[in-house]
Amino acid sequence: MDNKKAVDLVKRIAKDRDETAFSEIFDYIAPKINAYYLKHNLSSELAEELTQEVLSTIWIKAELFNSEKSKFITWSFTIARNKKIDFYRKNQKNVSSEDVRDFLYENDKSNDYEIESTINKITEELDQNQKKLIKMSFFEQKSHKIIAAELEIPLGTVKSRIRATLSKMQKHIL
Amino acid sequence: MNTTTQKNDLIFSYSSGNLGEAKSLFTSMYLYLNSVASKKASIFDNLLAKNFEDLEGIKLKKIKFSDCIKSKKPSNENVKSKNNPLENIIGDLKNINWKSVYKGFKEFSIPVNDKDSVKLIKMDPGTAVPLHSHNGKEYILVLDGSFCDEYGEYNKGDMQINDQKIKHNPVACNKDGCICLSITENDVVFFGKFGSLLNLFTFIKSFFK
Repeated sequence: MDNKKAVDLVKRIAKDRDETAFSEIFDYIAPKINAYYLKHNLSSELAEELTQEVLSTIWIKAELFNSEKSKFITWSFTIARNKKIDFYRKNQKNVSSEDVRDFLYENDKSNDYEIESTINKITEELDQNQKKLIKMSFFEQKSHKIIAAELEIPLGTVKSRIRATLSKMQKHIL
Repeated sequence: MNTTTQKNDLIFSYSSGNLGEAKSLFTSMYLYLNSVASKKASIFDNLLAKNFEDLEGIKLKKIKFSDCIKSKKPSNENVKSKNNPLENIIGDLKNINWKSVYKGFKEFSIPVNDKDSVKLIKMDPGTAVPLHSHNGKEYILVLDGSFCDEYGEYNKGDMQINDQKIKHNPVACNKDGCICLSITENDVVFFGKFGSLLNLFTFIKSFFK
């Protein structure tokens, strides 16, 4: 599903509480969220439970989505990630990290579309191995030790390669 | 590792959800106050979201879309938070019950479930912290006013990261003083005339943490 289509669907949910639009969004994003949680070693039951919570948030907070500045995929990813953080933080106090993120989202002046060229430059500059390291370390949140074991390279090499990859990225985001 | 790299590391870790509660709260305030930092976080969020987009979906076995529709008419109440991320937790900064540490220097510990401690520091105009270093890293974010040390002037939204290599002597600026959010991973080590006394005080204090 391209971004334009997803944005149209979310707008229909926000405006008319359109359940057909929501079912299309569900079919597109729920399996990805489920896969994301399963990749983080959550049980299938828990993965589905959290996925349900994310989709409920999308349904309830569709009005909060600002299509002028955010891509649907990035918005839904941040909601899914924050649910996971909330889940791992057992002792919740007055505010959940998701609320904090909502707040940052509302006040955030940066724009997904304006930074697209920077993201493309970074994506072009990183080779496959570097992309893989970023994915394993930051997206899948694997420890350096586990990455070293999976890629069968020394721990020190993992650390220095991640450092070099981040330095390469940082040239574009100063 | 230079300071920019360390700041970026903090932002990247925030984006990936790797931070504990203390640093997470600290970073969310940094992103709230600093638009450059916020832009960097968006770049990293988008990069991670690309990985998410490429994920091969796994169909749900039990949950259907209709299970996720909790209410047909969601209320708009509570959708918008009124305060910033920190004030959402501790309330208005103006009503903090500050604890005086010494003349012109007050602090307030923020309750977090984390090994790192996070606190607010309030320094009256011209108040100085004796020359010190840190056993672990110290992160300081200026929430209001400004302070100066050997490395420069830090204003609202600026962050300073210090480690054991750095000795500094911060002074709140003369005009407004400053309020900072601070994380210390380990104890502070003081130098100079009263250094040993302050270090002894820190040592004793550690028993009451």
